[in-house]
Amino acid sequence: MRKGLFLVVVTLVVGFIFSPCTWGAPKTIKIGINAPITGDIPKVGEGTKYAAQMWLEDIKAAGGLDVGGTKYPVEIVIEDNEAKAESAVTTNLKMITEDEVLVIVGPQSSKQAVPAGDVAENYGTPMISPWSTNPDTTKDRPFVFRGCFLDPFQGPVLANFIKEEFGFTKAAVLYDVASDYPKGLAEYFKEAWEKINGKGSVVAFESFTTKDADFSSQLSKIIRSGAEVLFTPQYYNEVALIVQQAHELGWSNPIVGSDSWGSAETVELCGKNCYGLFFSTHYAAAGAKGKTQEFIERYEKKYGYVPDDVAALTWDSLGIVQAAIQSTGSLTGNIEKDRQSVRDAMAGVKEYEGITGKMTFTEEGDPIKCAVIVRISEKGEFEFYKSVCP
Amino acid sequence: MIFFLQNLVNALQWGSFYALIALGYSMVYGILMLFNFAHGDIFMVGAYIGFGVATGLLALVSTGMITAPNWMILVLTILFSMILTSFVGMIVERVGYRPLRDAPRASAAITGLMIGIILETGNLILLGARRVSFPALIQTETYNLGGVYITNKKIMIVVVSLALMLALHQFVQRTKWGMAMRAMAYDYTVVPLMGVSINTIARLTFAIGSALAAAAGILFGVAYPVLDPYMGIVFGWKAFVAAILGGRGSVLGATLAGFLLGFIEIFVAMIFPSTLRDLIAYSIILLILVFRPHGFFGEPYSARLRL
Amino acid sequence: MAENNGGGSVWVRTGQILTAFFSPIPLLGWLSGAVFAIFLEHIIGNSLAVLLGLPKIPVLFGFVIALKEPTLIPGAIAYVSLIFVIPICIIGRLSSPVTNLVAEKLLKLPLFFSVVFHVGILYGVLHFWSDISPYRVLTLKLTLIAVMMTLSLNVINGYMGEFSCSHPGFMALGAYAASVFSLVFFTKDRIFGEPLLSPVLGPFMFPLALIFGGMVAALGAMVIAIPSFRTRGDYLAIISLAFMFIVKSMIENLEVVGGPRGLSSQPNWANLPTVFIWTVLCIWIINNFVRSTLGKALNAVRDDEMAADAMTVNTRRTKMVAFLFAAFWAGVSGGLFAHVLRYVNPSTFGLQKLAEVLAMVYFGGLNSVYGSIVGAVSLSILGEMLRPLEIYKWIFIPLLLILVMIYRPTGLIAFKEFDVRSIVHPRKRDKE
Repeated sequence: MRKGLFLVVVTLVVGFIFSPCTWGAPKTIKIGINAPITGDIPKVGEGTKYAAQMWLEDIKAAGGLDVGGTKYPVEIVIEDNEAKAESAVTTNLKMITEDEVLVIVGPQSSKQAVPAGDVAENYGTPMISPWSTNPDTTKDRPFVFRGCFLDPFQGPVLANFIKEEFGFTKAAVLYDVASDYPKGLAEYFKEAWEKINGKGSVVAFESFTTKDADFSSQLSKIIRSGAEVLFTPQYYNEVALIVQQAHELGWSNPIVGSDSWGSAETVELCGKNCYGLFFSTHYAAAGAKGKTQEFIERYEKKYGYVPDDVAALTWDSLGIVQAAIQSTGSLTGNIEKDRQSVRDAMAGVKEYEGITGKMTFTEEGDPIKCAVIVRISEKGEFEFYKSVCP
Repeated sequence: MIFFLQNLVNALQWGSFYALIALGYSMVYGILMLFNFAHGDIFMVGAYIGFGVATGLLALVSTGMITAPNWMILVLTILFSMILTSFVGMIVERVGYRPLRDAPRASAAITGLMIGIILETGNLILLGARRVSFPALIQTETYNLGGVYITNKKIMIVVVSLALMLALHQFVQRTKWGMAMRAMAYDYTVVPLMGVSINTIARLTFAIGSALAAAAGILFGVAYPVLDPYMGIVFGWKAFVAAILGGRGSVLGATLAGFLLGFIEIFVAMIFPSTLRDLIAYSIILLILVFRPHGFFGEPYSARLRL
Repeated sequence: MAENNGGGSVWVRTGQILTAFFSPIPLLGWLSGAVFAIFLEHIIGNSLAVLLGLPKIPVLFGFVIALKEPTLIPGAIAYVSLIFVIPICIIGRLSSPVTNLVAEKLLKLPLFFSVVFHVGILYGVLHFWSDISPYRVLTLKLTLIAVMMTLSLNVINGYMGEFSCSHPGFMALGAYAASVFSLVFFTKDRIFGEPLLSPVLGPFMFPLALIFGGMVAALGAMVIAIPSFRTRGDYLAIISLAFMFIVKSMIENLEVVGGPRGLSSQPNWANLPTVFIWTVLCIWIINNFVRSTLGKALNAVRDDEMAADAMTVNTRRTKMVAFLFAAFWAGVSGGLFAHVLRYVNPSTFGLQKLAEVLAMVYFGGLNSVYGSIVGAVSLSILGEMLRPLEIYKWIFIPLLLILVMIYRPTGLIAFKEFDVRSIVHPRKRDKE
């Protein structure tokens, strides 16, 4: 027993003597990435992870992140939230309190971003969700930002585009009722469309459930309703099935989509069926110029496929984070103070030139950015068609 | 009327998937009385194996080493994948089910669930998160029969599924092996005393069930050419519903219940607002079970968990 | 053969020595050891961690950190043994004469005092252990909620012997009902507007919100309880599965509560003491329930319904009560879950959740309160501890479960009664 006590005393003494020795040297800047690596949407997690790793490579190549003349080494902490809400909350908290990250990028889908944003807010840690479109994510949360535009903007953009381009008066919508992004967008589109064309001009408003593969019943209904255009704000895997099945059921009118179409896999999975269709997105991969093109080429070379919107938005979010950290001028080493100053710098970001467009944050932490209408060409490339700014 | 016929055609296609998967599920469920919760993931594995085989064969054709028309490649793919997947099924049986033969049924259900998770994660680790697109082996042709659109794929899927179901029915009813299986379903304890090896029958059951799952996976790939590692979960649970609804060990029952499930889903979405589809479809199933507490073909036995 | 025996005997002897060393320690002794360890961590934890080369106090017994950077494994092991293992064992053993005496004295009073005393110390230990890091608090809260959920599912799946798949549905009902209750009455928010009552009252009315959640879940359970009169086993399993899908789809279609967008900004009332008290209540009440005549009737129904009927067990009433009771507690746990995360959405309560709860019940052990506690705690903590394995975690945990199922088919601790008296009872007196 004596030995035990002795040991404890020795530990205490030595510990107190040595503890200040670890201070000094520039502290590593840690960036937390909260991504769904496993679970329902592993593809989203993979895009996030790859974009983050590419960003880290750049920083490492530069010898660290330059803040006010000091080069800080950077580390990214990637955590898997298993596409579960509770898991996203625990990972966020773990990164904030255990890994002591300066900023968190993610979680991607609103299901995780809304509760995780609450944690970030409570612990005063800036968080930017690149992909979450639910207004609740950033609402009344000064520390939470997002990297993408909101549905209330995108819905009217598409409704106006269809009206101007084709002059149709009857539209149909097909969306996933169990997923908040498509549902929200479908409703905003309906609202905008009915404002333009009058009540009842959305002749079919049909839905299905996540993981469904057969949409024939809903599509038959849509075809019977006499709609002139089908709007489907779905993810690329469902897009391939919806478009194919619609054509098999004899649908020959245009199908229009939203930013969730903006993945290389859309064309890969959908093939010729998707040629000639329009969708709105953050950026157009084909015919992209400058930084955007550079990013796409690098990503494709490294991971073997053209990055989807998640990867591009994550890349931009990390860019904003980097710009914000750099514009703080200096880091104190006190993590709480630094988090506060990074948040202030982020809120003050003006006209950030990202690969998905210029970004300025509103008071809520939502970016004001332009949407791009893209046409899938006969070669299966995403061609720039026109750009719509708020 | 045309609208109704169109949906009838749709429901036939969708129902035949449910029926095929439910059939594989009900093989294991009916004969060994096990909840085979890995079945949905075996279906996924089957689809991926089919994808691998088809891609490999197409590559061979394109290099000119063999010449084969696409339909032959499809037939070969189905055959090879059924064989390969049946091995997967046998391994699953050996690892997850045989050690638990005398355990409570629910424990085997848990090992099944866990094997399913391992298969999903394993796939994710091996192939990454990207979804793959099943090669288009058949050129889609759409026929317009007075307003009802039918594709050659739809016809093929329904025909192949029905043929497989018929073959299975013949196998179970006419062959010696089938007889042993039926006997096993009838009495689990006495049959081994008659010189029938329970291990062999269990292995065979799993092999056949998995082969059917593989066939369903490939047909699925042909009709809905997007595969992802988690595609089997929902199918697994729905097959569970169909297999039990159809009654224990009844090939006909599982087939009909599978079709019924497909028909309910399609027609509910046709008649009611489609947002309420799940709500109404499952309420119908619940009501069916309230009024027919033992499914369609099940005898009113007391299915106790053996504890 | 002889060598084998010889080799074995070393282990046997070490085992005997250890048993002899530890057997006189009552629960109170372990708890006092833990109290000491916690204070030790508070005082020297930081400096010891620095000394051992760890970046900070290892948050979950060193796993999170050691799996991420293998070089830190020795440090993590040293930390855990210096702070937890060695002090707990030594203090536990040293104090055993005293703690045995105290335990004996306490036991002379009504059992209630003894239990409250132990639970109080346990809470203190957990409170100060989790005080180190908010991450520990959150993990602890979610673990306690998982215990409630697992326990209530065990009533149906273990004690009554059904294979019920509806638990996520009950949880969802409870979570939404409790959230709506606290949002309508006590919080200003986007959907329901101004609170109907003063928000100051809120925290005191939180139990009411949870009970309301439980009631709604119990009401929902009628949908399964009534068909269960006529059908059993597999058919009931799909009825319950259908119920789960129905609940999920219903909530998705209820725009009032946010549909698939979910419901957020629940007030932050579910702090650690609240969750802890509810969990203790849940364990206590469920334990009493399953040990009562009604609980025995449940087992009778499971083993042979007809025989039970013949022995004057009212099978319908028994089933009804069991379903409502289990659903009630699932609803309460759902309500707590919603208030801990301060957000709920329907897709949280799907097949993934179902697989999770089922795994916890069958891993821990059927028909046993002990088992459920062990199953829920070990799987939730393991899930957190193995985070650094990333995707391989989902190979490791299923494999572990398969092995447990193969070697202990009814789960780790099945069919064991949770006897409070024997737990708090003093061990045999130290001879020294």
